[in-house]
Amino acid sequence: MAKSPILGLFKDANAAADAGDALKSSGVSENDIDFLTDAPYPEGAFGEREEKHRLYLFPFIGATLGLSAAILLTSMTQLAYPLVTGGKPILALPAMAVVSYEGTMLGAILFTCLGVIFESRLPKLKSGLYDTRITEGYIGVLASVEDGDLDQTRGILNQAGADDVKTEG
Amino acid sequence: MQEGRVLSAEQVNRDLLRSILETPKWFWPVVGVLGLIVLIAAIIIGYMINRGLGITGLNRPIFWGFFITNFVFWIGISHAGVMLSAILRLAKAEWRRPATRAAEVLTIFSLMTAMIMPIIHTGRPWRILYWAFPYDFARGIWPNVRTPLIWDPSAILTYLTSSTLFVLIALIPDFAVLRDRTTGISHRIYALLAMGWEGNARQWKLQIIAGVLLSALILPVFVSVHSIVSWDFGMAVAAKSWHSTVFAPYFVVGAVHSGVSAVAFVLILLRWMYGWQDYIRHEHIDGLGRLLVVVATGWFYFFVMEVIFGIYGREADEIAVRSLQFIQEPFQAWTIIFIVTTYFIPVALWLTRRARRNLWIMSAACISVNIGMWLERYLIIVPGLANRTGFTFSWNSYVPSVYEAIIVGATFAFVSMLLLLFSRVFPLVPLYDIKEGDILKNESVKIGRRVVPATFRED
Amino acid sequence: MSSHSESHYPHDMWVFPDAQSTTQDVAGKTASTPGILKLGLAIAGVLAILGVVGFVLRMTTDGFSDYGAWGYYAAIFSYIFVITSSAPLVAVAFRLTKSHWRRPISRISELFALVGVVNVILYIPLIYLLPPINNPNFVPGMHGELQIRKTIWMEVPFGAPHLWDFLGIISLAVLSLVILWVSVVPDLAEARSSASGWRNKLYALLAGHWYGTKKQWIHQKISLALLGALYFMMVVFVHFLIVSDFAMSLIPGWKDSILPPLYTVTGFQSALSIILIIAFTMRKWGGYEKYFGTSVFWSASKIQIGLTLLWTYHLFAFFITLWYGRMELEQNILRYLMFESYSWIFWLNVIFIFLVPFWILVWNPVRKTAWGPALAGISILIGNLLFQIRMFVGAFNAGDIYHLGLFKVPPPVFPDLWDVFIVLGGIGLVAFIYLIGTRILPALAVWEVKEGAMYQKMDTLYRGEYLVLAKPE
Repeated sequence: MAKSPILGLFKDANAAADAGDALKSSGVSENDIDFLTDAPYPEGAFGEREEKHRLYLFPFIGATLGLSAAILLTSMTQLAYPLVTGGKPILALPAMAVVSYEGTMLGAILFTCLGVIFESRLPKLKSGLYDTRITEGYIGVLASVEDGDLDQTRGILNQAGADDVKTEG
Repeated sequence: MQEGRVLSAEQVNRDLLRSILETPKWFWPVVGVLGLIVLIAAIIIGYMINRGLGITGLNRPIFWGFFITNFVFWIGISHAGVMLSAILRLAKAEWRRPATRAAEVLTIFSLMTAMIMPIIHTGRPWRILYWAFPYDFARGIWPNVRTPLIWDPSAILTYLTSSTLFVLIALIPDFAVLRDRTTGISHRIYALLAMGWEGNARQWKLQIIAGVLLSALILPVFVSVHSIVSWDFGMAVAAKSWHSTVFAPYFVVGAVHSGVSAVAFVLILLRWMYGWQDYIRHEHIDGLGRLLVVVATGWFYFFVMEVIFGIYGREADEIAVRSLQFIQEPFQAWTIIFIVTTYFIPVALWLTRRARRNLWIMSAACISVNIGMWLERYLIIVPGLANRTGFTFSWNSYVPSVYEAIIVGATFAFVSMLLLLFSRVFPLVPLYDIKEGDILKNESVKIGRRVVPATFRED
Repeated sequence: MSSHSESHYPHDMWVFPDAQSTTQDVAGKTASTPGILKLGLAIAGVLAILGVVGFVLRMTTDGFSDYGAWGYYAAIFSYIFVITSSAPLVAVAFRLTKSHWRRPISRISELFALVGVVNVILYIPLIYLLPPINNPNFVPGMHGELQIRKTIWMEVPFGAPHLWDFLGIISLAVLSLVILWVSVVPDLAEARSSASGWRNKLYALLAGHWYGTKKQWIHQKISLALLGALYFMMVVFVHFLIVSDFAMSLIPGWKDSILPPLYTVTGFQSALSIILIIAFTMRKWGGYEKYFGTSVFWSASKIQIGLTLLWTYHLFAFFITLWYGRMELEQNILRYLMFESYSWIFWLNVIFIFLVPFWILVWNPVRKTAWGPALAGISILIGNLLFQIRMFVGAFNAGDIYHLGLFKVPPPVFPDLWDVFIVLGGIGLVAFIYLIGTRILPALAVWEVKEGAMYQKMDTLYRGEYLVLAKPE
C-alpha cells in the first residue's frame, strides 16, 4: 500500500514531542517522522532521529579545486607573458601564494554553500504537506504512514494535543 | 547579558517584517533624496570619465587622493560585518543575534561601494578588465600577478562572493517566513528564494553548522582582504612610510575598529527607524561598546608601532614624511583630530557603562571613530606621496576638487540607500536567530534569591 | 525525564565538581607530593644545576665583554620570559570575557607569577652584555658607520635601554605576583583551617584578613579586573622593549615594525600551550580529572588554532614586505634569519609552531580530547624555542651593530656544550620553581571553580539534555 503524509500542528513543543513518542510507539518508523519548526531547536529536543551528513567534505574538495585553479591561473598567465617586473622572478611564489590563498578560500566557501544546499535536500521542487502556521511558532509533526493507518494516526496526533491535523487532498 | 523578554513567534514576525510588509511614510522620500545624490554623483563620474582625471585635484606627485582614501575607508567598514557575526557566532555570544545580518549586509554594500572607487580612479574603467582578469586571449596580454594591485580584485571578489553567500544561506529560513506571509507576485519570488524550505530537523541542523563553518572559513578571508589592501601600500618602497611590515595587521585592526563602530551606529538607526526596541536593546549596544574598547586599544598599539618604527631607522626621507604628518601644516591639525577622534574621545566615553547605554553618546562616539579613521587613511596616503623624493621633478600639494568631494559624499548616500532598499525586501534582523535565542533561554539557574540569565548550549 | 532524554556530549566533556569537597580535596593534593612529582622535581633540579654550571663556564671562558658568545643565553632568557610573562594573561583575559571554561586553568596560569623572579635574575647578566647605544669607536666621516645605533630610544634618555627594560621586567614580576595574591587569598583563607605547620602560618600571613564578606568579594573582583587590564598592557609593552632592544636593534639595518606583535603572539601561543600541557598532566596523573572536563581543552584549542594562524599571518606579513622591497639590506635580513644562515631552524620553526599544531587542532574530534591540544602545545613550545634561537642567537652574532645595514650575511652559530647546559638549565629552573609553587599554593582556583559550579548545570529541554550556562552581568 502507498504511504501518505499527515501533518499535526502543535502550539506546545512538549505536546509535539509527546506526539512523536506516541507515533513511534504505534509503530511508525523514526525515519518517517519529521518535526517542522520555525527556529532551530537544539538537536534531539523532540527525540528525533539523528541526521547524518557529509558537509565537512565539501570545503576540502572546494579548497583543493580552488587551490589548483589558482596555481594554474597564476603560473600560466605569468609564463604566457614573461615580462620581468620589479626585479622579481617570473614565477614569484609569494605573489602567487596570495592569489592562490584567495582561490583556495573561494573554492572552499563556494563548495560549502553548495554542500549546505545539497545536504539540506534543497531546492525541494515538489512541495509536500505544509502549513503556514509553522512559521508562526506552531510545530509541525509530519509523519508518513500507510494509507490505511491515516485515521489511526490522526487520532494519535489529536490525542497528543494537536491544534489541527492535515492530510493531502 | 540577556535582558529582553521572551516574545512569541507571531510577534517576532510582525515586528521584524514590518519594514517589508508595511512601508513607513518616510521611506520613499528618504530613498528618493539619497537616490538623487547618487544620481548626481553618477553624472559627475560620467563627466570625469569624459574629461579625464584632470578635473580632480590629483597632480604630481600625489596620484592617490580622496578616491583611494575612500576605497580603503569602505573596505574598512566592510570588515565589521563578517568579523562581528563570525567571531561572535564562533564565541557563541548570545547578544550577537540581532546584529549579525545588519553587519553582514553592511559588509556587502560597503564592499561594492569600495570597489567603485579604484575603478573610477583609473580614469578609463573599462581597462580594469584586462588588468584584473585573464580574458584577453586574442592579444596575449595577461594580468601581472606580481603587482599587489592585482591581488586586490582577487581578494575583494572572494570576500564579496563569500559574504553574499553567507547572507543568502542564512536568509533561506527567513525567505520561508516571508513566503508564508505574502501573496501574489512577491509570494512567488519569496517561494522561489526559499527553495521549498520547510524547517525540518535536518535543514536546521545544516543551517546551524553552515553558520559556524562559513564563519570559520570567512574569517581568514576577511583578514586577508584588508591585509592585501595594506600591501598596495606596503609593497612599495618609493613612498617612504608605506614600506612597513606592520601595515597588514594595523590596517585590519583599524578596519575592525571603524567597522564595528559603523555597525553599532547602523543598529541604533534601525532601532529608531523601525521601533525595534525589543530586539536591538541597550545590552547589545553595550556589548559592542565593550568590544570596541578592546579593539580601539589594539588599534592604538599597532598605530604606535607603525609610528615608532617609522622613525626608528632615522632615515632622512622617512623622517621627512613623519614631519609632514605630525609637525607641518596642514596635516598636523588633521593628525591631531584623527588621533583624538579615533581613540581618545570614543574610548573615554566607552569606559563608562552609562555612556555605553546612552544611544546618543554611542552614536556620537561611533561617528567620531569613523571621522578619525577616514582621516587616518588620508594621512597615510597623501603625506606619503607628498614627500619630495629625489626623482620627482614637480611638486604639488593636493587639494581635492569639488567633484571628488561630491563623489566621496555620495558613497555614504549610496550605502544608506542600498541598506534601506535591502530592508524593504529582506529582514535585516534574522528572525530565526531571535526565535532560537528565545527558545534557548533558561530561567532555572537560581542563586539564592536571584535568577541569573542562562541559556542552553548545544556544544 | 523521559526515556529519550540523553546527553549529546561525551561523558567527560563537562564535569560538575562538588563544591563541598573541593577545598579539602585540593588542600590534600597541595600538601602531598606524589612520586611522579618528586621525580619531576629531581630532574628539574639536576637540569637547573647543569644550567648554573654552564653559566659559570661560559662566564669564565668568554666573560661579559663579548656578547656574541651569549646568544643562546639570550635566547633561553627570551624563551622563558615571553612564555612566563604571557602565562598569567590566560587567566586575566578569559576572566574579562567571563568564559566559564577558564576556571580550572586560571590558577595554573597565575602561578607563573612565581617564575617572574627567574626572569629578573636571568636578565641581570644581560645588563652587562648589551652593547651601548652610542658607538664607542665612532669617527666622524667614517662611511656607513653610525654614531648612534638604531634603537627605539631615539635620543638615548638616561638609563636607556638597560635600566628601563629591567624596570619593565621587575614591574611585570611584581604585578603578576600581586594578581596571584589577590586571586589566591580566598582559597588560602579556606585552606588555612585544614593546613598545618608552615602552611598554616604562611596562609595566615597571606590571607588572614579575608572573611569573604560581600564587600571583600566585590573588591577582589574589581582588583582582578583592573590589575589584569594593567598587566595586559604592561606585558605587551615590555615584550616590545625586550624584542626590539635585544633582537632587532642588534642586527644592523633591521627595521621591522611587526616584530613586537609577532613576539607577543608567540608568547600568547606558548603560554596557552604550557598551561594546557600542565592541565593535561594534572588531569591525567594528578587526580584532577573531576575538575577538568575535556571542554576546557576544546574551548582553549579554538583559541589556540586562532593564535597559530595569527602567528603565521604575522610572519607572512613580515616576509612579504621585505621580499617585495627588493632592497639589498632587507634581502640580506631575510637570507640571514630565514633562508640561508638559519634556514633549517626557520623551517623547523614553521613546522613546529604552525603546521603540526594546525594539523592536530583542525580536527574537531581531536580538539575535544585532552591529549590533542597538549600535543599541539608541545610542538608549539619546541617551535617557539627555535624561533628564539633564530632571533636572538642571530641578533647576538650579526656583526657590526653600528653599521648602516647588513651588507654581508653572517654564518649561523651553533651551540657548544655550555650553551646546551644553559638552555636545559633555564628550563629546569623554571620547572623547579613552578613545581615547588604548586606545593605551596593550591594549583586549582577553588573559589573560581566553586563559583563556576553555581552557573553551570545540565537541564532538559523537551526530550534532550543540554548544558545550561548562566552569565552573570
